[in-house]
Amino acid sequence: MTELVQEATAYDVVEGEPPELLGRNLNSGAHLFASATAFFFLAFVFAYFYLRAQNNAGLWKPKKVDPSVAWGTVVMALAVASALLVRLGLQRHRAGRREEWRRVGVLALVVGFAAAVLQVVEWTTLHFGPTDGGYASVFYGWTAFQLLFTLGTLLWLENVVATSWRYRKVASGSPGPGEASGDPHRTGHDVADPLSLVRPGLEAVSFYWGFVAALGVLLWVVLYLA
Amino acid sequence: MSALAVETSPPVWRRLIGFNLLTAILLGIGGWYLGWFCAHQITGASLDYFGDIDQNDLAVFMGYFVGVLGFLVGLGFGVYPWARLRGYPPSLREKETEGIGRYFGLCTDHKVVGIQYLVGIGVFFFVGGLNAMLIRTELLSPTSHVFPANNYLTLVGMHGTMMMGMFTSGILGPFANYFVPLMIGARRMAFPRIESLTFWLLMAAGTILTTTLAFGGFPTGWTGYQPLNDQANAGMDAYIAFFALVGISMCLLGLNMIATIVTMRAPGLTWSRLPIFCWGVLSTAILMLLAAPVLVAVLLMSMLDRTAQTSFFIPAAGGSQYLYENLFWVFGHPEVYILALPGFAIVLELLPVFSRKPLWGYRLAVAGLLGVTLLSWLVWQHHLFVSGINADLRPFYMLSTELISIPTGFTFICGLMTMWRGNLRFTVPMLFCLAWFFNFLIGGLSGVFLSDVPSDVTTHGSFFSMAHFHYTIMGALIFTFFAAIYYWVPKMTGFELNERLGKIHFWLMFVAFNSTFGPLFAVGFLGQPRRVVSYPHNLIFLNRWVSISAFVLGFSLLIFLANFVWSLVFARVPAPQNPWGSRSLEWQLPSPVPVHNFDRIPHITSDPYDYGEPAPGPVAVPAPSPAGGMR
Repeated sequence: MTELVQEATAYDVVEGEPPELLGRNLNSGAHLFASATAFFFLAFVFAYFYLRAQNNAGLWKPKKVDPSVAWGTVVMALAVASALLVRLGLQRHRAGRREEWRRVGVLALVVGFAAAVLQVVEWTTLHFGPTDGGYASVFYGWTAFQLLFTLGTLLWLENVVATSWRYRKVASGSPGPGEASGDPHRTGHDVADPLSLVRPGLEAVSFYWGFVAALGVLLWVVLYLA
Repeated sequence: MSALAVETSPPVWRRLIGFNLLTAILLGIGGWYLGWFCAHQITGASLDYFGDIDQNDLAVFMGYFVGVLGFLVGLGFGVYPWARLRGYPPSLREKETEGIGRYFGLCTDHKVVGIQYLVGIGVFFFVGGLNAMLIRTELLSPTSHVFPANNYLTLVGMHGTMMMGMFTSGILGPFANYFVPLMIGARRMAFPRIESLTFWLLMAAGTILTTTLAFGGFPTGWTGYQPLNDQANAGMDAYIAFFALVGISMCLLGLNMIATIVTMRAPGLTWSRLPIFCWGVLSTAILMLLAAPVLVAVLLMSMLDRTAQTSFFIPAAGGSQYLYENLFWVFGHPEVYILALPGFAIVLELLPVFSRKPLWGYRLAVAGLLGVTLLSWLVWQHHLFVSGINADLRPFYMLSTELISIPTGFTFICGLMTMWRGNLRFTVPMLFCLAWFFNFLIGGLSGVFLSDVPSDVTTHGSFFSMAHFHYTIMGALIFTFFAAIYYWVPKMTGFELNERLGKIHFWLMFVAFNSTFGPLFAVGFLGQPRRVVSYPHNLIFLNRWVSISAFVLGFSLLIFLANFVWSLVFARVPAPQNPWGSRSLEWQLPSPVPVHNFDRIPHITSDPYDYGEPAPGPVAVPAPSPAGGMR
């Protein structure tokens, strides 16, 4: 069985990996991370219903603790709009309309960041703080980590958009060796045709952003409407 | 076609002061002070930074957070995200061919990460073990004589937290990272940078936990129960930061393992040919991926209670301490199986090799592993039987807990039947596997008493439950951890471990382990509670017996350490390529394994357990052409 490696001298370079394997990895990774994210926020959903049911010391939700539904709706709607825009961009990319995808991608980023900024602004307008009972605790905790996941996803989206913009005049193949990972001292790429990964990256981030936006809808229903 | 391990040629200055462990430590310390300083600006400037540390939890958390960021940036984890932020294309590999230096920084070779894990976790295992020796030293006397009660509590807490936290990755870290890609015919893990990140996060976490001593320790034990958690001094922040980082590391490790096994199996490696070790890793990884986020969430809630003054766990302010207990055990009980399942898998993987028989009931074994994975989500409230939960909930959780013994029994039966009429070879790894049967049987049977409400009411919180989980965790996980070390280290390093010293280590450890934890069942029945520094005088003899046995147990581990250092540093006897005559794919490669693993991705032609067959075919053949690649 040593023939599994004994031919090392027969080739100058060892056989490489097809890029579609990395695409599959990205796709699996996005779905797995979404499931982990779901369990993370499940803890906040559990906290909401548990503390609400217990209503210890009658301090689940004192009268002044009443966030504005309008603010919550705007933040949620912007996040959903951004996720839909990424989905639209993916469709454009699949259709070969790359220029349109790039524009839609930038727009999705702007809309997503607007949602994040408005979430922070909303906190400054509230008439209650994190110390005001069970609901307030869950509200601040859940919205804070929703914001964190939103920012992380937007960062991922930015990576995909930035690669598309940087190499907008290169259809496929490897950019120069010095371009690999932005490291000028690298002698080559370790991924064959790295630019072909924009599509799987976009598919993965589109799925995950859609998932995070759906969690935002759940947050909106539970914290603002229920 | 592209090269697999891309060379870099950085200038000399970058090689000298580039990204490595030294830079990481410096940036970590600098980051800690930066975070601390910034938090003080938020909460009110103070010149007396050391004096008010007990009150300023935000400063401590910010210190840990920015310190860990600095540590990771120092290791080189910031370079790639920065490049991607600017739109540069993706790459997979870092420092895979850079000699000894690759062990002290970010390296994407899964074999390097495996060895990093083995050494790193080993260091913290010995720190945790040293805590255990100090605990038993204190318990030589029925009253406090070495440590004050608070320090004793911190010691117990540090021992438990270190062991339960660091050892969640005890098997998957070193052995799954190293061997899963080799067993499935892959050249790497699905996400190599994340793989390295999980290790360094764990090392940062372990270091943070030790800093609790500087802030007065923590009084809660490894579970961090409320309301003590919210009330404790700044040492509690170290516990929270530690376990949150461990949770993030576990989650990412689980994600990477699942993605690797699902997407990167070589052609021909169907699910029914997947080595049982990989099934065990997959089951564990599912639990890690889904349970760890709940732990992270509940710890972040604790952090918010301690910094932003939320009231998740303060009943007088609308919260509930039961919320913590429930969420903690939603993670905590699956965690028990995160620790145990890899041990099952190692036993089932090694028994066919040393019995020269195929694995009996492969599908039953897989069903057992997956059954435990599923049921482990439905049992958490048995930890709360005596906490005042609604009594109507007890029967369900009692039955679901007892039900879990059925899939556990599957693995037991498969292991025993594999050995039945086999040609047994009593090598050191085999001895550790056999010890697993004995230890885990006692651990499992004593678990029935704790799952039964009537008997749990009298044994809960006593040394009985402590003896039970040491039989299941140490008796199962640690013994199989050593089985794995003796079995796989020759492949990892290319050198043999001394067999005679290995057997001395085994027998001393096996006898001392049972002599330590067996009597603790009696101690528990006689009423000695856990985490209490004093005990009645009638328990002096048993406690001294246990303490002396524990010291012998500690000594047996020193024998292992001596064997490890002697064999790998001084004796350096080259190991044959396949000293155990295993059919598994990793043993068909040279020792140590080359950087790229396989020249060409192999085609798997049979399962790895065809022992005892007259003329078994090869387990894999090279792919038919160099252009074949992965399909």
